Amino acid sequence: MKRMWLLVGIGILVLGVGSLGADDVLVMGVTAEPETLDPHVTVDNNSWRAIYYCYDRLVEYEGGTTKLRPGLAESWEISDDGLTYTFHLRKGITFIDGTPFNAEAVKFNFERLFAIGKGPAGTFEFIKSVEVVDEYTVKFTLHAPFAPALSAFATDQGCIVSPGVMEHEVNGDWGQDWLAEHTAGTGPFYAAEWIHGMRLVLKRNDNYWGEPAKLAQVELRYVPEPEDLRMLLEKGEIDIAEKLTVDQIKSLKGVPGIRVFEGPSFSCHYIYLNCQRPYLNDVRVRRAISYAIDYEGIVDYIWQGTAVRMEGPVPIGFAEHIPVYQYPYDPDRARALLKEAGYEKGFTLRLMHSPVVPEWRQMAIVVQQNLADIGIKVQIESYAWATLRAKLDKGDFDMSFGYWTPDYADADMFTWFWFYSENWGLPGNRAWYKNEVMDDLVTAQRVETDPEKRQRLFEGIQWLAVSDAPYVYLVQTKYQLPMREWVKGYVYNPMLLNMPNFPDIYIER
Amino acid sequence: MIPTLFGVLLITFLISHVVPGDAAQLIAGPRATPEIIQRIREEYGLDKPLHIQFFMYISQVLRGDLGKSIRTRRPVGADIRAFFPATFELTTTAMLLAVLFGIPLGVISAVYRDRWPDHLSRVFSVIGVSMPIFWLGLLLLFLFYIRLGILPGPGRISGDPPAHLTGLYLLDSLLTGNWRALGDAALHLVLPAFTLAFAVLARITRMTRSSMLEALGQDYVRTARAKGLMERWVVTRHALRNALIPTLTVIGLSYGELLGGAVATELIYAWPGMTHYVVGSMTSLDFPAVMGVTLVIAIIYITVNLLVDLTYALVDPRIRY
Repeated sequence: MKRMWLLVGIGILVLGVGSLGADDVLVMGVTAEPETLDPHVTVDNNSWRAIYYCYDRLVEYEGGTTKLRPGLAESWEISDDGLTYTFHLRKGITFIDGTPFNAEAVKFNFERLFAIGKGPAGTFEFIKSVEVVDEYTVKFTLHAPFAPALSAFATDQGCIVSPGVMEHEVNGDWGQDWLAEHTAGTGPFYAAEWIHGMRLVLKRNDNYWGEPAKLAQVELRYVPEPEDLRMLLEKGEIDIAEKLTVDQIKSLKGVPGIRVFEGPSFSCHYIYLNCQRPYLNDVRVRRAISYAIDYEGIVDYIWQGTAVRMEGPVPIGFAEHIPVYQYPYDPDRARALLKEAGYEKGFTLRLMHSPVVPEWRQMAIVVQQNLADIGIKVQIESYAWATLRAKLDKGDFDMSFGYWTPDYADADMFTWFWFYSENWGLPGNRAWYKNEVMDDLVTAQRVETDPEKRQRLFEGIQWLAVSDAPYVYLVQTKYQLPMREWVKGYVYNPMLLNMPNFPDIYIER
Repeated sequence: MIPTLFGVLLITFLISHVVPGDAAQLIAGPRATPEIIQRIREEYGLDKPLHIQFFMYISQVLRGDLGKSIRTRRPVGADIRAFFPATFELTTTAMLLAVLFGIPLGVISAVYRDRWPDHLSRVFSVIGVSMPIFWLGLLLLFLFYIRLGILPGPGRISGDPPAHLTGLYLLDSLLTGNWRALGDAALHLVLPAFTLAFAVLARITRMTRSSMLEALGQDYVRTARAKGLMERWVVTRHALRNALIPTLTVIGLSYGELLGGAVATELIYAWPGMTHYVVGSMTSLDFPAVMGVTLVIAIIYITVNLLVDLTYALVDPRIRY
């Protein structure tokens, strides 16, 4: 009897110990699962990471840049008044469900997007109407000229879904229930299997109209604990590990067989100074705070070199960015400004953060210390993510940490959203800041069709944004992605954060 | 049972609704317009007064519908069916381990009172009760997966899972004769089950030890020994049987606790279970999911403890219902 159990045990060991992956299968370990696979429903980055490859868009980002290249549209024209966009579509493409791709399909997508009316619809608010000109030509009319419009079509929200999803419609849901679990696009991959809480498997679309993907399969394996990801990567059971902590990445550097990709990102961390609150409504106080913070210490000790200091509101790497004034760390000047404002005796402010970003708590402690030096007492408050957002939306805070990543590659993302006084609260102006000159500038750039004039407007905005100091511009993080050395062909695009170029990646052991 | 469940639902509902924060905003995303947010609020009934929302929810539950998750946008019932088997398999295995090792350890400890087996088991129990699960889990993974390489890493299975019958991998692979999946799943279960069992095991050992000590001092034990019964029979038949009632109670309570509290273990071992689902739901104010899971756990908890009460009668014939 004993011997039998021993044999069973050995048998289990032999059978069970994992086999290494095949050469055309890539496993990426991720810490969060998609919410849904419907591109017209979700604005969640973790969902995009699965959805993006199963679809194509009218225009696409070119390699690792923010430039646009033709996608499902071969070419396009923009009218001189900036009000109509005409796209000429590629011919002979079919969706994975066999439905032909044409202008009607494009029109259907925008009808579906607006009928569902969830987050992604917000990205295309500028569209007034969509018109089928002929089978392969589609015309968009805008409410008003909107300079960043073209790049909106390259986002995940711009994924073109097959009209065939309507066969799965229940109770007038536009096929939402079905598309939450399936994909129906023209893209290089399709979702083949999703075991919730465990893994999502994308398989190659062998009938892809463009160059087929080199990998036959991409598995997104859900491993919520970063420490586990690190172990799995070291063992070679996963090929790419997403979202490791600063410490873990440090310990991975120099491990044979592993490389850590590093590139600049457009993910910015900053402090909102609520301009409607006492003390903070005085620009001298806001400037004093900007002078009082030890930026270098924050970059070196908290981010340990994985971030650079922001230079004004528009991130470095954006075409519209210009080098603007950076407040030096100068407590004496800060104290003088407070004195000038009549607050020699100091006062108390509250500072919100959320455990969602672990570095916020550490930065909060530094800021607390820095502001104490100039006589401002800071009470640090930690809130759950949803609560923090609710308080931001109501303006119920003094100061808060926050971060922002752009949806489309245009400085509009960092100016109109942040400074326009009608965007108070969650829409983007989280400092509850209002300056009429600024309002004019940020609305003018949206409709300016001459690139040079538009750039001049952006320059003005950036200087004014630093001078009025409604935010403390802290850091712009670097994107780091640890992977096995056998992963080849990876190209990073800062607009597609956490979304590797799976169709071009291959494995060479 | 019904009033208890109603109470559980009411309290959970109130707690999940007094938390400030707007679920509609979370669904809509950062760049949504106020009209979009308002439409979502209407779709999920979030614009109605609280008592109406609660009434709507209860009538829905009575019709057997747990509602739709705000976060995953799937029916909560389907989500629970997807995540529950993993948690059930893990906690049940852990409980079996804890009982199989805990009771004998407790008995040995009591029989060898104040001698080295007792000291050893007591040290073990103290470690078990006080060691954080998170740390223990990482330590075991590091040792058996990274260093020795004899057990698989985090996850429930490495290869393809067995065909879906019950969602319990061990059972499904046995039923379908999929031996590869059986071995794969069984090995993946070893570390998480042991990690989860450890704390409960310690508690069972301590409880068994103290009630055994009490039983061993009773008159009937002296009588049994006096009439010349073998010591083994005295301990197992006479003392243990009488000492088991408190242990059973602990087992019942602990089982419910395991079902709802395996979060750390599931997290460390990337176990696709329910507790992890509910934590995700809580942070995104997904109250239909939180309520659904709470309801299911409450039902199981009550059922398990009912079963425990019934087994009292089996163990001790003096108890009748």
